[in-house]
Amino acid sequence: MPKEEEKKEEKKGGFFKRFGRAARETIYGMAAHDTARFALKTRGSMEHLFILITMGDLLGVPILPPYYSLRILPYVVPQISTWKRRMLRERDLTDALA
Amino acid sequence: MISIRRCAIPLADIFEKFPDRRYIMFGGKGGLGKTTFSAATAYYLAKKGHKVLVFSVDPQASLSDIFKRDIFGKGAVEIMPNLYAQEIDADRRIKEYQEEIRKKILDMYGLPKVPEEIEGYIQAAAAEPAMEESAIFDEVVDIVVKGGYDYYIYDLVPLGHALYYLSMASVYDAWIDKITHLRGEMAEYDKVAALVKREKESEEDKILTELLWIKDRINKSSSILTDKQKTAFFFVIVPEEMIIKDTQKAAGLFAKFDVPLSGYIINRVIPPELKSQDIPEYLRHRITMQDKYLKLIDETFKNEILASVPEMERDVTGLPMIEKMANAMFGNGGKP
Repeated sequence: MPKEEEKKEEKKGGFFKRFGRAARETIYGMAAHDTARFALKTRGSMEHLFILITMGDLLGVPILPPYYSLRILPYVVPQISTWKRRMLRERDLTDALA
Repeated sequence: MISIRRCAIPLADIFEKFPDRRYIMFGGKGGLGKTTFSAATAYYLAKKGHKVLVFSVDPQASLSDIFKRDIFGKGAVEIMPNLYAQEIDADRRIKEYQEEIRKKILDMYGLPKVPEEIEGYIQAAAAEPAMEESAIFDEVVDIVVKGGYDYYIYDLVPLGHALYYLSMASVYDAWIDKITHLRGEMAEYDKVAALVKREKESEEDKILTELLWIKDRINKSSSILTDKQKTAFFFVIVPEEMIIKDTQKAAGLFAKFDVPLSGYIINRVIPPELKSQDIPEYLRHRITMQDKYLKLIDETFKNEILASVPEMERDVTGLPMIEKMANAMFGNGGKP
């Protein structure tokens, strides 16, 4: 097959691929995005609750026992600062809507 | 040595009858002779040909004093053939542990140094009073999991603390259970999000793996502490009113944690034969008082008295005195 035709075919295929992806994403956005967002948000809240239980001392909330919480510390290092910000920030009514 | 009718079963028989009880503990108020009894029991068992490790779970351990050897932080030290003793250096263990955590953080994130906030937490956690006990607890788990001895003798801390030590396993257990459960729920949400977004399986939760590892270690330790087949717990008492009352209360609390109580050993009994000798009025009064409380002990602990050990003429330190004490506990001195 000559090269130009090959390119044409690819373009055609690329178009269908792109269309397919766009359609999939639209459907995902309409039907499932909220579910995924909710799941991730709940997961995030739980992550922070988990860090509170294990690393409470960082906020001055001593929750037993420090020896084994140190073992978990390395895994939560990246989350510590967002967790602290979230725990210590002021809240208002709009939080419930978020 | 002294006339004793209080021993329901002689202490030596307990060891003969229940050879599977390999984890031996002596509990009681401070200064009643827990370390002395631990050392003497270790001596007795070692002489019988068993390989014995006696170790202290007390940050202020006194095994070094009783064996007249500096064994602090040196691992299991051979005192005589078959008899090993160990005093745990909690401070060093905590320092090593902190270093291990720091190294893990640096390795995991490729950082040149631990972030200040995290470093502060590592240092603050190590300063907690519970840290020392937890570190010792963890090392004891290491010791018993590693194995290699026929008998393990725990030289325990005084009552309140011992209860804390023994309860630590169940407190940790409940704590770990809760957070493991929470972690499991988190993994569920991860899965839902991944499924809806048509992503590949969410990656394995390393924290959950770590939690399960901790849980397994704690379970190993608590299963030993509460195993009636493998563990024997003895209370040390002396014929004094307050001690008897406190021990009675403590026994109730220990029972709540399913600690398998094997019996009571009376220490510091002034030989009643002295009464017939020419002794000062002061000593005669003490013996009369003691008789009263020995009677009370009889009534209170009935058939659970295993040995009655006389007040020694001098401190029990060094192997010859430990041998003498072992004879008093297990030999003729301890038999009816």
